[in-house]
Amino acid sequence: MGRFEIGSYEMSMEKLNKKSLNRSPRIARFRAGWAIYRQNLLGKIGLTLLVIFALMALCSFIPPLIDPMYQPMTGVDPDIAKSTGPSLRHWLGTDFMGRDILSQLLAGARVAFMVGVSAAFMSIVIGTTIGMIAGYMGKFVDTLLMRLADMIMVMPTLLVVLILSALFGQLNIWIIVLIIALFRWPGVSRVIRAQTLSLKQRPFIEAAKVAGASHMRIIFRHIMPNVLPLAFLYMTFRVTSAIIIEAALAFLGFGDPSTVSWGMMLQWVWKTGHMFKAPYWLLPPGICISLITLSFYMLGRAMDEVLDPRLRKEAETG
Amino acid sequence: MALLEVENLSIGYHSQKGYIHAVEDVSFSLEAGKSLGFVGESGCGKTTLGMALMRLLPPNGVIREGRMLFEGNDLLKKSDEEMREIRWKKVAMIFQAAMNALNPVHRIEDQIAEALLTHDPMCSKEEAMKQVEDLFVFVGIPKDRMRDYPHQYSGGMKQRAIIAMALACRPALIIADEPTTALDVIVQDQILKEIKSLQELFKISIIFISHDISVVSDFCDDIGVMYAGQLVEYGDRQEVFTSPVHPYTKALLSSYPTVTGEKYKLEPIPGETPNLINQPSGCRFRHRCPSAGVSCKTESPVWLKLTPTHRAFCSSIR
Amino acid sequence: MELTRYIGRRLIQIAIIFFVILTVLFLLFRLAPGDPVSRMVDPDMTPEDAEFLISQLGLDQPLGMQYLYYLKNFFTGNFGESFHYGQPVIEIIWARLPNTILLFTTAIILAALVGIFLGKIASWHKGETTDTLMTLGALVTHTVFLPWLGLILIWVFAYKLDWFPITGMLSEEVWLDPGAGIFTKLIDVLHHMILPLATLFFIHFGSYLLIMRSSMLETLKEDYILTARAKGLQEKVIRNHHAAPNAALPVVTSVGLSLAFSINGGALTETIFTWPGIGRELVMAVSQNDYPLAQASFLLIAIVVLLSNLVVDTLYAYLDPRIRY
Repeated sequence: MGRFEIGSYEMSMEKLNKKSLNRSPRIARFRAGWAIYRQNLLGKIGLTLLVIFALMALCSFIPPLIDPMYQPMTGVDPDIAKSTGPSLRHWLGTDFMGRDILSQLLAGARVAFMVGVSAAFMSIVIGTTIGMIAGYMGKFVDTLLMRLADMIMVMPTLLVVLILSALFGQLNIWIIVLIIALFRWPGVSRVIRAQTLSLKQRPFIEAAKVAGASHMRIIFRHIMPNVLPLAFLYMTFRVTSAIIIEAALAFLGFGDPSTVSWGMMLQWVWKTGHMFKAPYWLLPPGICISLITLSFYMLGRAMDEVLDPRLRKEAETG
Repeated sequence: MALLEVENLSIGYHSQKGYIHAVEDVSFSLEAGKSLGFVGESGCGKTTLGMALMRLLPPNGVIREGRMLFEGNDLLKKSDEEMREIRWKKVAMIFQAAMNALNPVHRIEDQIAEALLTHDPMCSKEEAMKQVEDLFVFVGIPKDRMRDYPHQYSGGMKQRAIIAMALACRPALIIADEPTTALDVIVQDQILKEIKSLQELFKISIIFISHDISVVSDFCDDIGVMYAGQLVEYGDRQEVFTSPVHPYTKALLSSYPTVTGEKYKLEPIPGETPNLINQPSGCRFRHRCPSAGVSCKTESPVWLKLTPTHRAFCSSIR
Repeated sequence: MELTRYIGRRLIQIAIIFFVILTVLFLLFRLAPGDPVSRMVDPDMTPEDAEFLISQLGLDQPLGMQYLYYLKNFFTGNFGESFHYGQPVIEIIWARLPNTILLFTTAIILAALVGIFLGKIASWHKGETTDTLMTLGALVTHTVFLPWLGLILIWVFAYKLDWFPITGMLSEEVWLDPGAGIFTKLIDVLHHMILPLATLFFIHFGSYLLIMRSSMLETLKEDYILTARAKGLQEKVIRNHHAAPNAALPVVTSVGLSLAFSINGGALTETIFTWPGIGRELVMAVSQNDYPLAQASFLLIAIVVLLSNLVVDTLYAYLDPRIRY
């Protein structure tokens, strides 16, 4: 018992001493994490799918270069004015006004990444900051911030965006991203707060306090590096929820009309009454939204296993 | 005939790092109504031994060889179903007080009655409750606390409830694994006295597992000292306590204050317990042994019979 | 006694949260760009009617007074008149509320029960094919895009196979038929309900299954499970009576925490299946700029979420004696 405690104290002293934290142990830790991650089948599938979606997003720039009719939003095939099935000219067919579905699908990947990653990033920045401040300051600040989190947590984000778009008119895609971020941080902040509370008890925080570090310095230099892995884990889950909310909003017809998202494609199939006659149009966007959500989710679960020593132990013994 | 006779028992665990020899070649016997104590540092295999007697090892644990004769029948030859019926009815257990051994969502009385109802199909619910009431009187918990949930009890009361549960089916043998470790000293003493008097009242045999040799020597008729999975000294209380032979027993005795209050210099045992995966040749204690000779390194120790009851596993004493 | 005090405390918290939502909504509706009067009063109304409504809603008063009028109107159930229906808003939402509650609560309860049950089985067969299949299935149903699933179900089961009606909640011919008994009518509703119910159910049960599975695996490592084994209990009893009640607690918590997210799905499902519920009413009101109806629907949905949270919390307290006593 005694030995173990001394060991962990030494480890935290090492963290305290910034100079000893050079790059190599970090790389070593990353390698160790990667080794565990690689054993996870779901994690590998998720990562592979994400690479494919990223390639799709990159490829979205190509079709408009070949011919202006492949512009996802504005390009219309001059010879076709209705939805047609797959052909050599339009691999996935065309939509109700003769636009190329494949081009739209590729552009949708770009929008999904953009929306998902930026909304998730913003919400974990907000959530992590609030969680650390609540956990570290405690008392009144903690109560206030956590009550605020409770309040936002019971708000159905999609319906909030709906109400706001009723009041403010058509919302720009970045405003939508911002609103999603502003309403999806409470879950992150709860977890980060709990982690901060346990970190606060550790000797290296105590040592920093004794050394006269300010609250801000302790929070951002000593606590933050320790909660960041957890924050990134939660980011993957936030990416999925942001993509879903944007897609649902677009599906209901309240998306940004200047961007083609998968949700919007589904809205076109549905609203133009093609859902029973154009499976080539109905299936791809739905499969893409579901698969990208699934792959971010699998990525998150696999990362969870890397980060959670308890689960790792379970994998060892069982 | 002895109630329990264990012969050449070897137990191990499969782990990712290899096979762990947790208990090796342990033999002992226990007469009905007597008590036997096992002492040793944490990780010496004493808890594994207790669990093996109930055949409750974790899934990666295996009993490699040996026999466990209980009332003349080998427990290792019993089917799972037969073994299930023996548990608690014949052999009960008192768990570590620190353990969360009571289910938080069920009432204490129900948890005790459950043991009775499981093993006696003829017993009615009312009858079982009546017996639980009697058990509460035996262990000194007020009757009006029967319907409480575990979290409403103090540590000492929980331990009493567990003792009451162990007594429920009037077993022939109780295995008590560190029953008082996490309790404060006064409660510890009360609980020990209680177990002792109940043992005498019901004529139950007890196997008492502890890291504290003073507790064991106070309580048990016979003592077995374990080190790194092996039994190193075995004998009756008087013999082991007053004339210890094995260097490890001597070290254990001098690392604890005596009950009588004589002033000794407390000696910590230098070094640490050996790795149980790669078994060193020769005597396992030799690295920490003050009287280790050259032969201890290469030759395995042999049992030295001192009296008909007293034996030690050491080659350096002649 | 502890239980009532606990519920009382939660009720106060919920009341405060609701009050804040009420206030924020008021400020948004009054301070958003544009004319607040035209947002609350139908432009097509006769001037006399409009005058009456304006004075009733206090729109001719300063902002502070307007707020007091707003609160009074909320508590007396006066939400103004819907632009689209030309009816008092309260009548519309009262008619829609039971439909939403019927669909939503049935789906969530069913999903939680099935998720808990299957998660328990998956954990018991950890690492076997049963477990792998269940986990994979749960992952897929949990992440499938709800509106798309709804459309696919309609396409396959309502359009291709023609097993279920495509939209709505009732068939006119059944409900207008004076000879139809209550049982026939009930069957008719059920017939309409199956597809939307299946959609909501599929989206939710997967996450509950996954939570139950991992919670069960954690619980099985608890000391009291060892006690139960040592007591010689049958494995079935250990699983169902000792592990499952403890392992289900995190699932209950998660049902509560995800309620707000679930109601999004509820609104989407109602819209796709034209289920006459309050979520669909909100979506339609927003697209028709029917502000009074949108505002009231949103408030009512907030109340539904908050009260369901209270129900979940009460259930949790009932299941966990550590909170009850």
